[in-house]
Amino acid sequence: MLLQAGYVLRARPWAVEDDHTAKKLLQLGLLIAVFGILYGAVMGSFGGVFGERFWQVVFSAVKVPFLLIGTFALSLPSFFVVNTLFGLRSDFSYSFRALLATQAGLTIVLASFAPFTVLWYVSFSNYRGAILFNTVMFGSASITVQWLLRRFYEPLIRRNRRHRTLMRAWLVIYAFVGIQMAWVLRPFIGYPDAPTQFFRQDAWGNAYVRLADMILSLIGG
Amino acid sequence: MLKWFKQLDKILRGDATRIPLLAEGRFTTPVAGLSVAIVLLGVLYGLCAGTFAMIRTGGQAYMQMIASAIKLPMLFFLTLAVTFPSLYVFNALIGTRLSVISALRLLIAALGVMLAVLASLGPIVVFFALSTKSYPFMVLLNVGTSTVAGVLGLGFLLRTLDRLVIVQEDIEISNFEAGLKNSKGEEAKDKKIEPTGALDRMGKVTTRKAKSVFRVWTIVFALVGAQMSWVLRPFIGCPTAPFEWFRERDSNFFIAVLQALANLFSS
Repeated sequence: MLLQAGYVLRARPWAVEDDHTAKKLLQLGLLIAVFGILYGAVMGSFGGVFGERFWQVVFSAVKVPFLLIGTFALSLPSFFVVNTLFGLRSDFSYSFRALLATQAGLTIVLASFAPFTVLWYVSFSNYRGAILFNTVMFGSASITVQWLLRRFYEPLIRRNRRHRTLMRAWLVIYAFVGIQMAWVLRPFIGYPDAPTQFFRQDAWGNAYVRLADMILSLIGG
Repeated sequence: MLKWFKQLDKILRGDATRIPLLAEGRFTTPVAGLSVAIVLLGVLYGLCAGTFAMIRTGGQAYMQMIASAIKLPMLFFLTLAVTFPSLYVFNALIGTRLSVISALRLLIAALGVMLAVLASLGPIVVFFALSTKSYPFMVLLNVGTSTVAGVLGLGFLLRTLDRLVIVQEDIEISNFEAGLKNSKGEEAKDKKIEPTGALDRMGKVTTRKAKSVFRVWTIVFALVGAQMSWVLRPFIGCPTAPFEWFRERDSNFFIAVLQALANLFSS
């Protein structure tokens, strides 16, 4: 498994080659699950790991892979149709594996950041600081795997330059859905004074509406 | 049923609009089955759009969901009905070889592209319907998805029409060359064919005109579609308003979108 993780990180053709596709998809899914759970568990350990707080660790651990795979699944149908429309259907199976491998890469990078997060949690007890730190971690991991995605997509783009446009379109859809998904799945970190829960009671809001409100209240003073 | 979706798939892949096929003046995709596929996709997206009212009212607004599912395919076919005559007329004026039936088929194929894209964005709409309380946001999201679908569908239509113009031009040129050859022979001497000078344009002028005419027509289609969606509203259903099949006739699509934008920021 670590070997596979290495393949993904080095953007070896292992993930995107055409043989044993079903098995590879499963393995990539497993990578996402394992490394996602790893980072999620660390992320949820802010309020401690004993007693009731243990459940926050479990919840967060489950939620991270769910966040990634859920976003992936919701964005996929439109990506499929648009690919077909742009005449790239024959490459779709490759693109699909490339995108999934990128997801796996994201979780691996996140997992490698987990020690930083532990250090941060040990050093600072500010809840807002923890949120900000994790946002930064997710942000930097996402930016890092852009590089990976580009390497996976390189042969495709060389074959047909439209793949570049579609790769960008994918990132837009994915980010749009992903931000809301992350918002809905809160809490990931767990406010220490609030009781542990899987979903926050008032979580069913809209990240974009909240953002607009925040910007407006900032402007309006 | 699978066959109908296979036809749609052929259109999406571009197999139905390859130049050799168009050169024969044929756009032969059977539309009966395709139309059923379009209606089904429309119903699917209608259900997605109606989910928001359903969730917000705790299941009270199931009528809204049904109404949306019925009205959404209607929206597309009514837009088609309004815009089809002018498409055919322009098409004939420019002199492409498309017959009435072929033009209709082409337009239905474009609807197929639109609805395939729209339906594929359905899961995202449902996800947001589940997780947001903001009605203006849902309105804008649906306007966004429809815009994406419309742009891609009309892009398909425009490219196909462009191809038809190119095909037409090729036919004219080959006819011209055939005529030139004939004039060298003895029989066709009475046929007047003007010799081409080195600076003469070949076909280009009509091509450019044809393309701009189709572009204007595409914009008209988009405007009609947008206003049609306003006439047939509500599709999403404001959770606080009572259910109605159609709302009062007032305002228009574009003012309403601006209003939704303003509401998004003020709520």
